[in-house]
Amino acid sequence: MKKLCCSILLSLFSLQALAGIAVIVHPDNADALDKKSISNLYLGKTKRFPGGAQAVPVNLEVGQASRGDFDSNVLGKSSSQLKSYWSKKVFTGKGTPPKELANDDEVMKLVSSNPNIIGYIDSSNVNDSVKVVAEF
Amino acid sequence: MKHKLAVSLGVLLLASPALAEVRISGFASIVGGKVIDGTGVDEFDLPPTFLADYPLVGAYEEEISFEPDSLFGLQFSADLLDGLSATAQLVSRGANDFDVDFEWAYISYEVNDNWTVQGGKKRLPLYYYSDFFDVGYAYPWVRPPADNYTWQIFNYTGLSALYNYLIGDWTMSGQLYYGSEDDEPNKLLSEFFFGEATREIWKDIGGLVVQLNYDWLDIRLTHMQYTNERYIGGEQQTWDGSTERKGKFYGLSVNVEYESWMLLTEINRLDLSGTDLDTYMVTFGYRFGDFLPYASYSDFDDGEGGEVHNTTSVGVRWDFHPSAAFKVQYDEVKDNGGPGLKVAGDSESFSFGVDLVF
Repeated sequence: MKKLCCSILLSLFSLQALAGIAVIVHPDNADALDKKSISNLYLGKTKRFPGGAQAVPVNLEVGQASRGDFDSNVLGKSSSQLKSYWSKKVFTGKGTPPKELANDDEVMKLVSSNPNIIGYIDSSNVNDSVKVVAEF
Repeated sequence: MKHKLAVSLGVLLLASPALAEVRISGFASIVGGKVIDGTGVDEFDLPPTFLADYPLVGAYEEEISFEPDSLFGLQFSADLLDGLSATAQLVSRGANDFDVDFEWAYISYEVNDNWTVQGGKKRLPLYYYSDFFDVGYAYPWVRPPADNYTWQIFNYTGLSALYNYLIGDWTMSGQLYYGSEDDEPNKLLSEFFFGEATREIWKDIGGLVVQLNYDWLDIRLTHMQYTNERYIGGEQQTWDGSTERKGKFYGLSVNVEYESWMLLTEINRLDLSGTDLDTYMVTFGYRFGDFLPYASYSDFDDGEGGEVHNTTSVGVRWDFHPSAAFKVQYDEVKDNGGPGLKVAGDSESFSFGVDLVF
């Protein structure tokens, strides 16, 4: 009983902590994605969804609230560490960072119109035009 | 040559305005510094000097100067679709009186998810920081430790193949390259070492880079070979009666960024026709939010009585803006070179500046 209480309490806490960022894809995309595979896509280490389709990650601009949370919780880097990471790649011809969009609406629009795109937005802005594959 | 290149790149950029997406990005460093105390080198009539950047001869003296490390770079990259792209990088450096030069101009083709082939003029990926040496934002110090970065040639023209594989939790990436460089006059050798116009030729440069990356751990192994020819004041140099000598370079770098800790290490050996030029450096850092204080030691040693020097540095990087970092650094150089082989003497220096990327 004590255990149950604890786990209920814990799950309440974790729900609260997790109800922040929703990683979203097109509703037709059937791929299952965990934190590692999302991070690999956003760091340019892989270019495909686990199912083999081409994956194009899109980012939010620095300054958007979810961006900082995504960088630190999912990618494990501060925004400036991430900027260093990408500047090494960009200026040595080894890669290009994900395109940055101005707000959640733009991310939703792109994701809902193209099965190859993966994005993330504030969980409270999710609607039926996209599918949530992970929450952080 | 420069004009032709600019025109053809211009044509490439303009050829298909509806299709080609041109990305412009850039980097800049505005750095000031001065020697607080130094011996100079009497036999060369050299005043107190801190040679902060060997390849570009970025040298500080007792008067504060903003030229040795300041630079401005612009990169244009045109995506021509289906994996083909063209990139050019223009850099203007204080050490070169802010003349603008093409540092890079190459065509890139993505063969598949794992391999990309590139051809043209690129940075030589010799040491860990060689190919992004100009991008101050990408590393903690004001500049990569000078004792380690003493090479004369930093670009090459040729071909390279980049690869990238994901193996479980590890990423294996790297580069195979082949090319050559004929640099006349070579800035470091002409201005600093020989005091006479020197033409430095590196032929048959062939190299391999293997980089293994696991979350907080980054390991880089490299090997490079080349054939050296040199003309000083128009006269061809010989080494043991031969006009050519072979160079073989070996490098290992291990970098750790675990939680707030940072450990950067690099050890290299250049075997130049039997003489070993050994370099290593180690840097510790610890992140406090936007602040990264660090301490660093670097060393160059080509044997008893040869060129021998080391640098101890302490500094702080402050990420005060999402795209810019402010840095201050103190460097103490000990020059223990043998007779005629001192570089710039002992020195203590102070430098500060802003690095940004956009």
